[in-house]
Amino acid sequence: MAASAPIRAAGWALLAVACAGLVSCTGKSSSPDDPVAIQVNTGTCGPKWSAHGGERTLQIKNAGTVTTEVDLIAPDTGGVYAEVEALAPNTTRSMRLTLGRGTYALRCYAEDTDGVTGPVVTVSDGPVHGAAAVKPVDNQTLLASVKDYRTRVTAGLGQLATDVDTLRQALRGGDLATSRAAWLTAHLGYERLGAAYDTFDDFADKIDGMPDGLPGGAHDPDFTGLRRIEYGLWHGEPLGSLATVADQLATDVAGLIKAFPQQQVDPNDLPLRAHEIMENALQFELTGEADQGSHTGMATIDANLTGTQMVLDTITPVMKTRYADWDKVALWMSRTRTAVDSTRRPDGTWTPVSALDRAQREQLDGDIGQLLETLAPVAAIGDVRRTS
Amino acid sequence: MTEDSTTPRVANRRLFLRGALSAGVAGVATGAAAGAGIAAALDGSARPAAAAVDDAVPFHGAHQAGIATPSQRNVAVVSFDVLAADRGELTDLMRALTDRARFLTSGGTPPDPGISAPPTDSGILGPSLPSDRLSVTVGVGASLFDDRYGLASRKPAGLTSMQTFPNDHLDPAQCHGDVSLQLCAENPDTVLHALRDIARHTRGAMQIRWQIDGFKSPPRPSGTPRNLMGFKDGTSNLHGDDTKTMDQLVWTGGEAGWAAGGSYQVIRKIRMLVEFWDRVSISEQENMFGRRRDSGAPLDGNDEHDTPNFAVDPVGTAIPLTSHIRRANPRTPDTQDSRILRRPYNYNLGIDSVGNVDCGLVFICYQRDVAKQFEAVQKRLADEPLVDYIQPVGGGYFLVLPGVRDTNDHFARALLA
Ligand code: HEM
Repeated sequence: MAASAPIRAAGWALLAVACAGLVSCTGKSSSPDDPVAIQVNTGTCGPKWSAHGGERTLQIKNAGTVTTEVDLIAPDTGGVYAEVEALAPNTTRSMRLTLGRGTYALRCYAEDTDGVTGPVVTVSDGPVHGAAAVKPVDNQTLLASVKDYRTRVTAGLGQLATDVDTLRQALRGGDLATSRAAWLTAHLGYERLGAAYDTFDDFADKIDGMPDGLPGGAHDPDFTGLRRIEYGLWHGEPLGSLATVADQLATDVAGLIKAFPQQQVDPNDLPLRAHEIMENALQFELTGEADQGSHTGMATIDANLTGTQMVLDTITPVMKTRYADWDKVALWMSRTRTAVDSTRRPDGTWTPVSALDRAQREQLDGDIGQLLETLAPVAAIGDVRRTS
Repeated sequence: MTEDSTTPRVANRRLFLRGALSAGVAGVATGAAAGAGIAAALDGSARPAAAAVDDAVPFHGAHQAGIATPSQRNVAVVSFDVLAADRGELTDLMRALTDRARFLTSGGTPPDPGISAPPTDSGILGPSLPSDRLSVTVGVGASLFDDRYGLASRKPAGLTSMQTFPNDHLDPAQCHGDVSLQLCAENPDTVLHALRDIARHTRGAMQIRWQIDGFKSPPRPSGTPRNLMGFKDGTSNLHGDDTKTMDQLVWTGGEAGWAAGGSYQVIRKIRMLVEFWDRVSISEQENMFGRRRDSGAPLDGNDEHDTPNFAVDPVGTAIPLTSHIRRANPRTPDTQDSRILRRPYNYNLGIDSVGNVDCGLVFICYQRDVAKQFEAVQKRLADEPLVDYIQPVGGGYFLVLPGVRDTNDHFARALLA
């Protein structure tokens, strides 16, 4: 440990250490690896501290009695350079970043207390530009996005109900080809809604759940919904019995339509969804794992891209000013779309994932992988933070 | 704070050490390396060379590291297909490879992205990266010079696609590729860390085509490490610190144009049928190689490093004419130029469909001219008795690019200029 002992200052505050490290305290210049130790406390978010520019480690200690979030901010814009979340009393955590010339301040958010900004510190040496500050997203920032998202999903659910009705009729009509086509339409309509993880609460499993984890597998009574119908349609099950599953599906879709207006959409969800939908597509569709017999995984991925685009559209106003590489998202969305489309055959059917040749697979893996890398920062930037 | 982020690291020290120097190296090991001890530099000679595990293998230089470098304990050999849309993106890929290799091999603390992104590093090596003698060696395959990037006219004449030899059992899914990466380090987590890091930074530009991980055994009980047939492997080899021979036989020269200072890399994934092998008598095993299993001595000698004398044994009474070492290196004036630098590793993939261990040799060799060296040796080895116990299943030929000279340089700069 190279951190020097804190110097006691007046009252409650413990002074931050400017001459970090034993070396610098004996008069020699401090090495870039010497950490800058700062103690924060309820009330003022720490004493005045100083640091040289360059790659630095700030060691933040919570000397108070309340768990506190500590951000390093640009005092003029409120942009955040680095954060330590949930710093418990008497614990120390570090932020490592490149400090460029300019002004910095710590901002503390103790639990149940308004945010407090510490003294403004000027870094006057080192590189001109250091780490970039990002304007934080708070619980107000995404309100318009959530509203937009709700409107779009509500419209999509209405369409889904219609498509499920068509599917019920087709199954009752007894024609396999018509039923399969109607199934695909309904299934893709649902996939375009960009459901991933806990979207739609319990309705998600009822509408589109997989047999995995059910003791009876595909024949488990709890396996219902679109995937169950897919299984039956491609495993020679009587259409009449599948019509019963479709009736249940219609009930569940109606239930979701009724419940959706009351369901919470956590603003955090949208930036998360931005990459999760395609994470799922890669994990379950491109591997063929989700396939219940229809071999329409590529169509599903296509629909998932549309679902992702819907989410991206809703958060564009928030992200384009915060995410420096936002334009790359569009580039990789479009490249991925091209790669996915190229697996569609002239007759409109899709190549089963198991029949993709090596070049197609590498292109898809590469484009989806790069898209996911490009989307990952969206979730980090869009993580809802306190600003007051 | 971990200790090593405040401890100056010992970098830029090339460690081609002979014998007694090893103790001195341990003495100057960094604090972070203390306790990790000394890893034997298993460089294919019996020399007890050693390097402290936290010493960095220098990245910049006329030649890439990972060839003359004494073998580290672990390797991942990875072949990629390039997806870059055009020549500009291919250049971006080479720059990205350069940046990552430079950073990973020198070690240090990855930047904190603040709130702008998930962590920049996987964290599997802790908050501060040890260099762990990591080397990142980048090669290009003949397929990169097709019509995609306008490089056809720049393809060195010596760069061909791996041919199929008479005893091969090649699986096309495990052959060839546009780019090869040989990642070597003392520890397997360092190798995997490097692969994850590089893949993360290059996903859209290249995708893994095939991969094989290997390990080097410790000396058992001394001398050259053994392969999985129980024989010391690497006793007779070229030495990375013999610069004259390296210039003659390993590094490409002026004839290679933009590729001068590179080296041709041959990778062969060779399955060993070890259960079958273990049912063979010791004398038959030893006759197949031409060396003793216990000591590694040639069958006409007593010690591992005794030189076999084929000239006095023209009919192969002591060392059979068909033995591996006699075919591989007849030690005649006209076969001197076909010598190669071997840098092999063992591999183990688990169990196959008949319950046998799926293990073997990641055979890697370097030379100035594949046709005159590897292929000449391989042709002499055709139908040697050993072929019943081994099966080449994959691999490829690549040209290791010239070294990255300094912080302004990048891989393939001369090729893409
Ligand atoms: C699984 C396959 C192989 C095994 C188990 C194997 C094993 C061995 C062993 C035990 C030795 C003697 C120790 C030494 O001098 O290093 C040796 C030597 C050698 N092997 Fe292999 N080898 C294999 C494949 C190859 C291949 C594919 C080549 C090249 C085409 C090759 C080229 C050589 C050469 C050049 C020597 C040194 C001969 C000398 O200078 O005396 N080996 N190998």
